[in-house]
Amino acid sequence: MSLLAVEDVVTAYGKIEALKGVSLEVAEGTITCLLGPNGAGKTTLMMTIAGILKPRRGRVLLGGTDIAGQAPHAIVARGIALVPENRLVFPAMTVLENLQAGAFQRRDKAAVAEDVERMFTRFPRLKERHAQQAGTLSGGEQQMLAVARALMSRPRLLLMDEPSLGLAPLVVEEIFRIIAELHRDGTTIFLVEQNAHMALKVAQHFFLIEQGKVTFSGDPGALAEDEVIRRAYLGSAQQ
Amino acid sequence: MLDFLQAVSDGVLFGATYALIGIGFTLVFGVMHKINMAYAAASVGGAYAGLLVLQVMAGAPPWLVFLGAFLAGGVLGWMVYALCFHFIPLSNPLATLMSTVGMLLLIDEVIVHVTAGMPQNYPAMFDDVMLRAGEFSMRGDLLLVFAVSVLAMIGLLALLYRTSLGLATRAVSQQPVAAQLCGIRLVRVNALTFVVTGLLGGLAGAMIGASVGTLSPLLTTPLTVKGLIVTVIGGLGSIPGAILAGLLVGGFENVLQLYRGVTERDLYVMLLLFAFLTFRPGGLFAAKSGRD
Repeated sequence: MSLLAVEDVVTAYGKIEALKGVSLEVAEGTITCLLGPNGAGKTTLMMTIAGILKPRRGRVLLGGTDIAGQAPHAIVARGIALVPENRLVFPAMTVLENLQAGAFQRRDKAAVAEDVERMFTRFPRLKERHAQQAGTLSGGEQQMLAVARALMSRPRLLLMDEPSLGLAPLVVEEIFRIIAELHRDGTTIFLVEQNAHMALKVAQHFFLIEQGKVTFSGDPGALAEDEVIRRAYLGSAQQ
Repeated sequence: MLDFLQAVSDGVLFGATYALIGIGFTLVFGVMHKINMAYAAASVGGAYAGLLVLQVMAGAPPWLVFLGAFLAGGVLGWMVYALCFHFIPLSNPLATLMSTVGMLLLIDEVIVHVTAGMPQNYPAMFDDVMLRAGEFSMRGDLLLVFAVSVLAMIGLLALLYRTSLGLATRAVSQQPVAAQLCGIRLVRVNALTFVVTGLLGGLAGAMIGASVGTLSPLLTTPLTVKGLIVTVIGGLGSIPGAILAGLLVGGFENVLQLYRGVTERDLYVMLLLFAFLTFRPGGLFAAKSGRD
């Protein structure tokens, strides 16, 4: 059974429907990727799953339970964590405090402290800068902090919204290396990306979203990469 | 020269209460990006409520009245949140401004009706103590007001920087979407902010009552204005700014009162505000651009 199932979700800003009935599934233990041009509704879908936006219609099933329309804190408690677009670290808090904020709902202090150490082992740069304000970190470091912060809630499902956005190619490679590592350790990842080339290398399954609708679903080999990239950047409507 | 020093010292000691009021405005602004216009009125209301202790228990010591004001301030803070913010659409920038102005007038009216508009005597502590160094002196009651205010500020900073609730409050003020994604409940943090600022306000109101000797409904409007001035001079959202600006305004107005009299002094406070708005509009501690 799939860990996450989105069924016919409609999310609107006022009268404008950004998602016009999106359905997709994320299987447990996989990296599933969502590709699509700007404005297709990728971030809207992520925000809807995380509970920041309320869907007008449809269901969001996590392990079979409908969580659509629940408050963000309830969804975090159920085991979903989102690494938001543009990272959104707490700029005037230290790296360590950012991680502690990620574990806000957890009461097991000793285990939280262990997880902080685990994050520092996985992201040595964060350890070096643990007492520094997050706003002073580089873009790549902030991205790693955002990932680590999300992991601090020990999620069953990690949502990542364009983790490579605005980062230098070398840093992008590092981010994708970390994504592959997390996957190897058993984390289920649902990834939104513009960088189709890198995303298709790590994903087991991908969806194309165009103008608020899923237009293709398949394994990375199912569609020629240049075709995927063309549609992910431009959308098929431009033909 | 001695007169000048004396005026500065008295003003700065009293200015600690302005700093508390400024912190209340600035903290709510930092967390919700809203101005709570009812804040100073609720603070005075809390101080009045502290007098109820004397009704229940005649001859109660002043510190019990202060404690009553502190707690009543917290309750009033929660009420202001519940009535003026919880059910009001926060996306409309004017809605909560209007609801809190309404609350300011309501609290004012309640005070006038309950006290029949008569000023009420307020107890003080150590008002018979006077520290002297030659001609220079420091009033014991003002020193207590200063010490209590400073302790309240230390308590607030400890809450903000040493507890997980404080962590949540700072997270919401810096990045509300990410705070929610961390599982922090926005509504709870907002309500808590009002309770905490309310507690500080009740205490500030009591300290003002203790240093002036009386409370009067005529206090609410000037205190609202002064609190906002302190907030703007300190830099919207900055707690250190509010503290420094509170002491600055307290000292400044007392010096001007010495040289120009009580009727003119607020004019110069306004000029000070004007100077800041012109030359340093962000205030002493201009807020870092926390949000993108």
